[in-house]
Amino acid sequence: MNAAPQISQPYIPNAGERAQKSRMRLDKRSQLRIWWREIDRVLLVMILLLMAIGTVAVAAASPASARRLSTSAVKLDDLYFYWLHLRWQFLGILTMLAVSMAPRDWARRGGIVLCAVMLAALILVPFVGSEVNGAKRWLRFGISLQPSEFLKPAYAITMAWILSWRVRDPRLPVIAIATGLMGLIVALLMMQPDFGSAILYVGCWAVLVLLSGIDIRRIGLLAGAGIAGIVATYLLYDNARHRIDAFLGGGTAYDQVDLARRTLMGGGWTGSGLWLGTRKLSLPEAHTDYIFSVIGEEFGLLICALVVVLYLAIIARVLVRLVNEENLFTILSASGLIALIGGQAFINILVNLQLFPSKGMTLPLVSYGGSSTIALCLTVGLMLAMTRRNPYLSRERFDLMAALAREEGAKEAGPRESSRRITRGKGGRR
Amino acid sequence: MNALTISTAITTGRVELVNTRQRSLFTARFRVLWVVALFALIAIVALMRIAYIGVVQPGPAHTSMAEALLPPRGEITDRNGVPLARAFPAYALWFNPTALGDGGAPLVKTPAEVAAQLVQIFPDMDAKWLARRLASGKAGYLRRRVLPEEANRVQAIGELALEVPREADRHYPQGTMAAHVLGYVGADGHGRVGMEAVLDKQLLDPAQRGKPAMLSIDSRVQGALEDELRRGMLAVDAVGAAGLVLDVDTGEVMALASLPEFDPNKIDVAGEKNMFNRVTNQVYELGSTFKPLTMAAAIDAGVVTDLSRRYQSARPLEMGGFRIRDSHVMGPTLNVPEALIHSSNIVTAQVADELGGKALQRYMTDLGMHERPYIELPARGFPIWHKGDWPRLRTMTVSYGHGIAVTPLHLASAYATMVNGGIWRPATLYKVEPGHAAKGRRVFKASTSARMNQLMRMIAVYGTGKSADAPGFRVGGKTGSAEKPGVGGYRRSSLVSTFAAAFPMDRPRYVVIAMLDEPKGTAASSYQRTAAWNAAPIVGRLVPRIGPLLGVMPDENHDIDLTDLAPLVGGKKE
Repeated sequence: MNAAPQISQPYIPNAGERAQKSRMRLDKRSQLRIWWREIDRVLLVMILLLMAIGTVAVAAASPASARRLSTSAVKLDDLYFYWLHLRWQFLGILTMLAVSMAPRDWARRGGIVLCAVMLAALILVPFVGSEVNGAKRWLRFGISLQPSEFLKPAYAITMAWILSWRVRDPRLPVIAIATGLMGLIVALLMMQPDFGSAILYVGCWAVLVLLSGIDIRRIGLLAGAGIAGIVATYLLYDNARHRIDAFLGGGTAYDQVDLARRTLMGGGWTGSGLWLGTRKLSLPEAHTDYIFSVIGEEFGLLICALVVVLYLAIIARVLVRLVNEENLFTILSASGLIALIGGQAFINILVNLQLFPSKGMTLPLVSYGGSSTIALCLTVGLMLAMTRRNPYLSRERFDLMAALAREEGAKEAGPRESSRRITRGKGGRR
Repeated sequence: MNALTISTAITTGRVELVNTRQRSLFTARFRVLWVVALFALIAIVALMRIAYIGVVQPGPAHTSMAEALLPPRGEITDRNGVPLARAFPAYALWFNPTALGDGGAPLVKTPAEVAAQLVQIFPDMDAKWLARRLASGKAGYLRRRVLPEEANRVQAIGELALEVPREADRHYPQGTMAAHVLGYVGADGHGRVGMEAVLDKQLLDPAQRGKPAMLSIDSRVQGALEDELRRGMLAVDAVGAAGLVLDVDTGEVMALASLPEFDPNKIDVAGEKNMFNRVTNQVYELGSTFKPLTMAAAIDAGVVTDLSRRYQSARPLEMGGFRIRDSHVMGPTLNVPEALIHSSNIVTAQVADELGGKALQRYMTDLGMHERPYIELPARGFPIWHKGDWPRLRTMTVSYGHGIAVTPLHLASAYATMVNGGIWRPATLYKVEPGHAAKGRRVFKASTSARMNQLMRMIAVYGTGKSADAPGFRVGGKTGSAEKPGVGGYRRSSLVSTFAAAFPMDRPRYVVIAMLDEPKGTAASSYQRTAAWNAAPIVGRLVPRIGPLLGVMPDENHDIDLTDLAPLVGGKKE
């Protein structure tokens, strides 16, 4: 009887964490030192390398866009976008480093709060947003802000948070809740319309749902639904239809896709050299959507390949390190964040390589982006914060062979085993 | 009891939770690898695409600043650096019916309205044709070579379907001048017809196109030649004319003209018909202009050793049912200088007969009459040349320029050989630096050449070439009026009249050929159709114009010494 109070206390995972944290207070210097030890420095170097490539690439593309956007009244300096980009990059790096210093719990809470705020802003967009190029995406309150950009990292964190509830209570319909949130955001984006961002949100959701253990058969259903969704978009949205038509039809002589192709092919393997490209000058959006083509013309296809490899390396670095992570929320949130960056990067690259219809999407961390540079740096900062780990803790190595064998076994003996080990219930194994 | 039940339930819950956590973690960790694999797959696709682009992509692998400053196609200039063909960055007018992109009508206004506005900008365009063209909805060029201000006005119409892409066009600042030498540039950007075709590679090569290609043509001489040829052609209502000026020592073509001409700036159907080059591509029986060549061969071979020897000239020569006769009886007998002065077929045929077919054939072969003429132009006519041993009749007819058909260029090279000391050289359209002339081959002895210079001068002084004898320029030359072959024999009414000349005869520098195709007898030619009345005067007017340009000054006090031969022709002008 006297043991009852102890036992009856409900189990809370990680219950001791908070108490431990508050036990000792650290001064700024030791916090910084701990941050330096815990941060994924390889990842940080690769990110900074990518941003450096972006700096040079924007310098290369800036004259093309500055000349195109100059009018008789206002003549933009050739390096107008370059100087602006440097300023944004500086702010972005500050944001990234600051965010990466936040403890994981703070990052989670901040992400959830940001998600709520930006969701509210996104709902406001159709009412008070301003229209650019036929799409209402921007809020202008003193500063211009595209809520969907800042929503992305917050959304990934919130989704990861929602999906990790399951660890506390398996009966919660977490996938349904996450899908509902995704549906709401995608619906709002389609109203703008912003087809490219919508694809990213759906992609991020798909990755997270996949990681949180959805059944293989359901993945097949999802893929089918995805194709149906694209077909529906094709039928319902003029903008998307025109772009897909242009992609499939090969494009006419002077449209974006064709100009981008000529630009990309204009430099050969080694490129024409900085500021020596000529094709880029006829390219619309040289400094944003088609910066990959400009890199191709001025620095060559080899550097293009290097950029592709660098993105893949960043993605692989983040994901492979997650394999022996022990916190589900960490795995989910970091995967969601890297899915956003990687997805955006590869969609942009495939568009530039004419393997994907034009999406109006920038090359993350490389393109000139204005406030979206900050949003991307925020994403990377959160990712860095999530992937922080104590280097002095030894971790259980992930045994791929054993995992494969276990996966096989689980598939064969799935229902029987689960009924034996886990009480039958709604939230059983899903 | 109660407490125990509760505690069991909670314990079950805890176990379940831990299980769930373990399974979720494991699934997430495992599936992270799927995501990595997915991204790796996409990256491999992207890398393969990059490799494909790098391997397959067409040409423009390198662009350099220096290249961007070069003209898209190299200039062509004459021998003095006067531009004859230059790159001309212009616009074109392209109709793009899908420009509006809404799948509806290609134009905002009606085709008729747009056509009317376009005709205001380009008055030479046909409004009806334009309206039909715009209504048809087919993409294509409406017009090439649109000037910048015209392009601005087209933009101001405000029709998106009217596009004005920039194009590297070709401009011939001298218009039709030397059109047959230059040729033109086709829509595909490659040269056609003339030196544009010959130099195509060089003119497009980034390494060479910065330096203009220099031709042997002198644009001043070319202009004068075309002017006089045209005047002569119009005066006698000829269907065509051809002429050239050739440097006898180097083989450089100073001017080459074929009329009627075409305008390389504006190629149309009428122009295409005139692209045929009469100087290098059309072969003619050039008639009496061959007589000096026959005489030179006979003198060179030692058959004619005595110029005072007389040949009968009263009776036509009968040869296998064919009669060789003169246009009129010039007396019972003639010597060689007289035969040339009066252009006697009968005497020339007798000399050739003595010379023999084999020897004449060898001289003609040495003069290059048996093959296409030597020049860079792509269109070179093949002579009508009797292969194998020449029978007597063939030898006789060839001696006065029948039964053999060559281009005027063949004749010019042969005349240059005859007057320059006896060296045959190929004609060229490239400027030859001093001392770099082709070595050539000796055909005549220098003494033969010297004698022929005297005889040529005598024809102009005493004979049929008098109207070519420009005072002070010491012109020598021979007329030729050949009947053109038609259906069933020669047509007496249609002639090819040629004057082949060289000047100054005391030290020959240039050969001039003027040829008229089917001249009529008009008041300007005193109702005569022979070369003395139409082709020779052209040379007579041309030489004073080009002589000073080419460094030959008129001088009444200089002339070739004719004192040894003058008595043979009575020493008096006819």
